[in-house]
Amino acid sequence: MPILLLGCAALLLLTSLASLLMGAGDTTPWQALSVLLGAGTEDARFVLFELRLPRTLVGLVTGMALGCAGALMQTLARNPLAEPGLLGVSAGSAFAVTLALLLGASSASLSVYVAQAGALAGCLIVLSAARLKGVGNDPIRLVLAGATLSSLLLALTSLLLMFDQRTADEIRFWITGSVAGRDLASLRHLLPSLLVATALTLLIIRPLAALALGETMATNLGHKPGRIRLTAVLIVALLVGAATAMAGPIMFVGLVVPFIARALAGADIRRYLALCLFIGPIILIGADTLSRILVYPLNYPLAYSLPLLALPYY
Amino acid sequence: MQILPFQQPRQPLPLAGYWRLKAFNQRITLLVSQRATWVNMGLVLAVLAASTMSLGMGSVQLSPAEVWLALAGEGPAMHQLVVKELRLMRVLAGIGTGAAFALAGCLMQTLARNRLATPGIIGIDNAATAFAVASVVGVGSALAPPAMSLVGAITATALIFALAGSSGTQGYRFIVVGLGIGAIAGAGTQLILSWVAIDDANAAFPWTIGSLNARSPDAFKLLCAGLALGVFFAYRLAKGLNALRLSETVPTTLGFNIKRLRAASLVLAVFLTGLAVAVAGPVGMVALLGPEIARALCRHRGLPILASALAGALLMVLADLLGRIMLAPLEIPVGIVTAVVGSPYLLWMLLNPNFRSQP
Repeated sequence: MPILLLGCAALLLLTSLASLLMGAGDTTPWQALSVLLGAGTEDARFVLFELRLPRTLVGLVTGMALGCAGALMQTLARNPLAEPGLLGVSAGSAFAVTLALLLGASSASLSVYVAQAGALAGCLIVLSAARLKGVGNDPIRLVLAGATLSSLLLALTSLLLMFDQRTADEIRFWITGSVAGRDLASLRHLLPSLLVATALTLLIIRPLAALALGETMATNLGHKPGRIRLTAVLIVALLVGAATAMAGPIMFVGLVVPFIARALAGADIRRYLALCLFIGPIILIGADTLSRILVYPLNYPLAYSLPLLALPYY
Repeated sequence: MQILPFQQPRQPLPLAGYWRLKAFNQRITLLVSQRATWVNMGLVLAVLAASTMSLGMGSVQLSPAEVWLALAGEGPAMHQLVVKELRLMRVLAGIGTGAAFALAGCLMQTLARNRLATPGIIGIDNAATAFAVASVVGVGSALAPPAMSLVGAITATALIFALAGSSGTQGYRFIVVGLGIGAIAGAGTQLILSWVAIDDANAAFPWTIGSLNARSPDAFKLLCAGLALGVFFAYRLAKGLNALRLSETVPTTLGFNIKRLRAASLVLAVFLTGLAVAVAGPVGMVALLGPEIARALCRHRGLPILASALAGALLMVLADLLGRIMLAPLEIPVGIVTAVVGSPYLLWMLLNPNFRSQP
C-alpha cells in the first residue's frame, strides 16, 4: 500500500510537471523548465505562473474532489456505475449556477455555495431514487434514471439560456467543462468547503466501510446508517458543487477513478479513497495536458477527451 | 375403427374484436383489428385538429374555419400567405419528424425487446446531431446536413455494436454503451459550438436541442421520401417483429431469419432517425413516448406501426404548438418541451417497482 501511494504520488508529480511544461503558446518545454529552475525569460515566467500554474492547480483540486465524490457515491448507491456526472448531480449544480447567472450574478463573483446547493438537490433526488424498491438492485435502471434527470435539468438549463443572450455567452464555454482561465482567487473561495468535506470524510470513513457490507452489518457494528448516508451525501454535494463551480460539469472522472483505485487497492473504501485523491488529478490533469497537445493552437474543452478515456471501462 | 374425413368448418371461428374482410371471391380473408382501426382513425383526427390549431395560432390568430379556407385557396390573401407560406411547412415538418422518430423508436424497442432501447437513449440522436452540426457550421465538410446526420447515426450504431461486443442488442450492455456514445457525441456538439464564431453558434443552438425552426426544404423532402419507404418496409417486417415480441425462438420456428430481421429493422430505424434529426435535431423523447402511447391505446397483439407514427406526429405538433404559445413571442424549441414533458414520464417508468422492460 505505501508503495502504491508513493507510485501514484510520483505519477501525479510527473503529470503536473508535464502540464506545466507543455501547452499552447510559444514557450517551449525547455524555457519552462528553466523558469522552474529559477531563470528564464519574462514571457515564459508569465505563461508559467499566470496561465499554467493556476490551471494545473484547478485541475488538481477538481480531480481530487471528483474522484472522491465518485468513490463515495458508488459506495452509497452500492452501484459501480453511480457517478456524479452521470447521475445528475453535476447537472443539478449546473442548473443552479445558470439560474443564479440569470438572476444577475456574474460568473466571476459567483458563489460556490449556489453550485453546492444545486448538487445537494440533485444528489438527494438520485439517492432517494436508489433506495426505492426495484431500482436499488438494478444498477442500470438507476443510471438511466440519473441520465434522465440529467437531461431534464439540462433541458431546463437550455430553457433558461434561451431567455438571455448574456448568460448564454458566459456559460457556453463553462458548461463544456474546462479548467482554463480560472484564477487562484476562485480557488481560495473553495478552500472552506473542501476543508469541511475532508474533515467530514475522515469522520465517516469507517462507518462508510461498514455500510458497504450492508445495512444490517453497519447497524450491528454500532453505526447509524441514516446518519452516515446523509453525511456522505453532504460531502458529495460539497465536492461536486465545488468542482462544478470551478470547471463546469465534468463527466466520467468520478466513474473511472474509483474503478482504477479499486483495481489497484481492493474493495475496501478506507484503502482506495486515498488512492482516489491521487488518481483523480492524474487523470484530469493528464486529459487537460493531452488535449492541449493534441489540438496544438487551441484550448480544447476537457469534457470531450474525458469520455474518450472512459470508453474502455464499458 | 372409423376414420373421419377432414371437414372444413362451416362457420369460421368467431374472433372477437376483429373484422373479417373478404376479397377476390372469398379467396383472401383479411382480419382487421377493430380497436386498432378506431385508434388509428382517432389519431388521424387528433393530428388534423392539432395541425389546424397550430396553423391558426401565432402572431396572426386565425379560426379553424379560416385556416381550412386558406388551405383550400380561398379567403383573404393575407391569411393564405400566413397559413401556406409561413406555417404549413413547419407543421408538415413536425408531422414528418414526429412520425419518423416514433416509428424508429417502435422498431428499435421491438428488435431489442426493451422499451428503453430507443434511438434517443442509446445516443444515435446525439451522434447524428454532432455530425450535422459539424456540417452546418462548416468544419470543412462538403456533405449536406441530412447526409452528415445519416453518417452520424450509422457511425454511432456501428460503434455501439462494436463496443457492446457479442451481446448484440441483448441485455443492458448495449444501452450502457449507447449512453456513453451519446454523452461523447453531446460533448462533441458542444465542443464544435464552442469553437465556432458566436453568431454561428447562436444560430445552430436551438437546433442542437431540437427545433422545427431551422428545417431545410431539401432535408424535409428527403424525410418524406424516407418516411414513405420506412412505413412500407416496416409493414413488411411487422410479421417477423411481431413474433419476436413473444420470444427469441418463436420467429425462428416460424421460419424467419432472425438475424436478417433484426438487421433490417435496425437499418430502418437508424435511417429514419438520421433523416428526422436532419430536419428537427434530436427530439429523442418522441421515439420513447410515441410507441408507448400507441401501445397503451391499441392493446392488441400486433405491432402498432401506424399508430406509433401517428402518435409521434401528434406529440411533435402539440409540443411545437405548446412551445410557440406558452411564452410567446419567445419560442421554446420543441426538443426542450418534449424533454420537460417526457423526462418525468421516463423517470416514473424507471422508478416504478413493477417496471417491465419488454414492450
